[in-house]
Amino acid sequence: MLEVIEPGLLTTVQDFGRPDFVDLGVPAGGACDGWSLAVANALAGNARDAAALELTLAGPSLRALDHCLLGLAGADLVARVVETGERVASGTSFTLAAGHTLAFAAASERAGIRAYLAPAGGVDVPIVLGSASTCLVGGFGGLDGRPLSAGDVVRLGSRSTIENDNRLHWKGGPQPALEATRRPLRVLPGPHLYGLPLSSFERLLASEYRVSARGDRQGIVLEGPPLPAAGRQSEMLSQGVPWGAIQLPPDGRPICLLADHGTVGGYPVVAVVISADLPLLGQLGPGDPLTFRQVSPADASTALRRQAADWQAGLAALEHP
Amino acid sequence: MNVDPSQIEPFGDAALLVSWPGGIDPATNDLVHALAERLRSARREGAGWGAPVPSYSSLLATFDPLRLGTEEARSALLALLQEPLPVAAASSGMVLEVPVRYGGTHGPDLEEVARRTGLSPAQVIELHAARTYRAYLLGFAPGFAYLGTLPPELHLPRRATPRQRVPAGSVAIAAAQTAVYPLATPGGWHLLGRTELRLWDAQRDPPALIRPGQVVRFVPLPG
Repeated sequence: MLEVIEPGLLTTVQDFGRPDFVDLGVPAGGACDGWSLAVANALAGNARDAAALELTLAGPSLRALDHCLLGLAGADLVARVVETGERVASGTSFTLAAGHTLAFAAASERAGIRAYLAPAGGVDVPIVLGSASTCLVGGFGGLDGRPLSAGDVVRLGSRSTIENDNRLHWKGGPQPALEATRRPLRVLPGPHLYGLPLSSFERLLASEYRVSARGDRQGIVLEGPPLPAAGRQSEMLSQGVPWGAIQLPPDGRPICLLADHGTVGGYPVVAVVISADLPLLGQLGPGDPLTFRQVSPADASTALRRQAADWQAGLAALEHP
Repeated sequence: MNVDPSQIEPFGDAALLVSWPGGIDPATNDLVHALAERLRSARREGAGWGAPVPSYSSLLATFDPLRLGTEEARSALLALLQEPLPVAAASSGMVLEVPVRYGGTHGPDLEEVARRTGLSPAQVIELHAARTYRAYLLGFAPGFAYLGTLPPELHLPRRATPRQRVPAGSVAIAAAQTAVYPLATPGGWHLLGRTELRLWDAQRDPPALIRPGQVVRFVPLPG
């Protein structure tokens, strides 16, 4: 078990979400950077979609009540074992002795905003509507539907394939937290039905943006040159929207949808981030620079298949270092 | 009527947007929910489909992009549409009665709605409770059903400034729609009253009291 000394800015239990209830208005949810959740789980010997903690910008302070093995991946939020001073790098597994505390210090130069801390055996919370994920808007899932708070005790599961405390290091594969601000996000144009002027999409591709401070697990708002938002939006009815959709409200400031986004939306969608780049989207935080690049549907498919191959290669390297 | 969708187009690399002509009408919405049901059964059979998101006259058909390409998904969808969609599949026929205390602290916007529509508060209540509404879709928040359509006399744009927190159970209107807020959330609709019915309970089966296609009537309670 882990005792929460300090909760951090926004620490929630997340797995791969609950996609089956979107017709009831329930956000699919799950980790905003699913790749890094999977890496943390692999390092802990868990199934890739096991429930773990998603840490945001300022990590929590957690005391181990029993000896435990943990995997850490995603953004480097500067983790340290307080009692030993040991620095824990992102992309490694480590042990925390009973009574020892894991703490995070804000990085002076951060890359990415979300880290994933996976205890061996997973986080043990009740499964609600098919998932352990915290649904903040619905107030259910995870720990009573809310972020961790001081004094909580996080129970750990027992299903892990790792039987000793060998430290593992994840090598290779994409690193969404590092890549998010270093290369353009790849997009496909939005559906034609929305009747946005073509110049909106072209301007999106040609512009440089910064992520505004207004952002959460539902979406991030982009600051930059406003895009032409004219079109048929005044008569638009709400429609289902996917994760990665870039909505264009009347003020012309794009909003990128993340894991907890509302299932339907009434704004035109100018572009959609490809599936392979959704983990990068989940690592962008306030002030981060952002640009977009158009790819073909075939490129999007190739990128996703390459990612799947990277995953298999990473797993193989863990098992046979 | 023509039951075939007018448009099937990619929405990113993991979804198709299926659209029918028309806006808010029950016959079109029946087709949307009938296709959603077909996609859910194909999903259960492991055909690579994700859970569909039905709306008024469109449906987001999500799929696993590692299993289906966009063109394969389109062909699979057309195959699902080969047999015409049944009309009037979603409406259960049962009317769900929602008891409401209108006005006062329960419905802080009743007076303003009356003023802006040129009606008395009693007339607003009477009009709101006089007809049955259909749940066209659920969205915005878990269990939030978009109910329509409102009598034209009550159509008002959303509030200029949304409230930070609308109490759970609030009965509200905006444009041609009415709804019950299932959870305490931010909201920009006009609040007419409140019900004690529990619209959403994640531990209940089914968790949403109002299902897509459900018919709803509001019943004014005294005081």
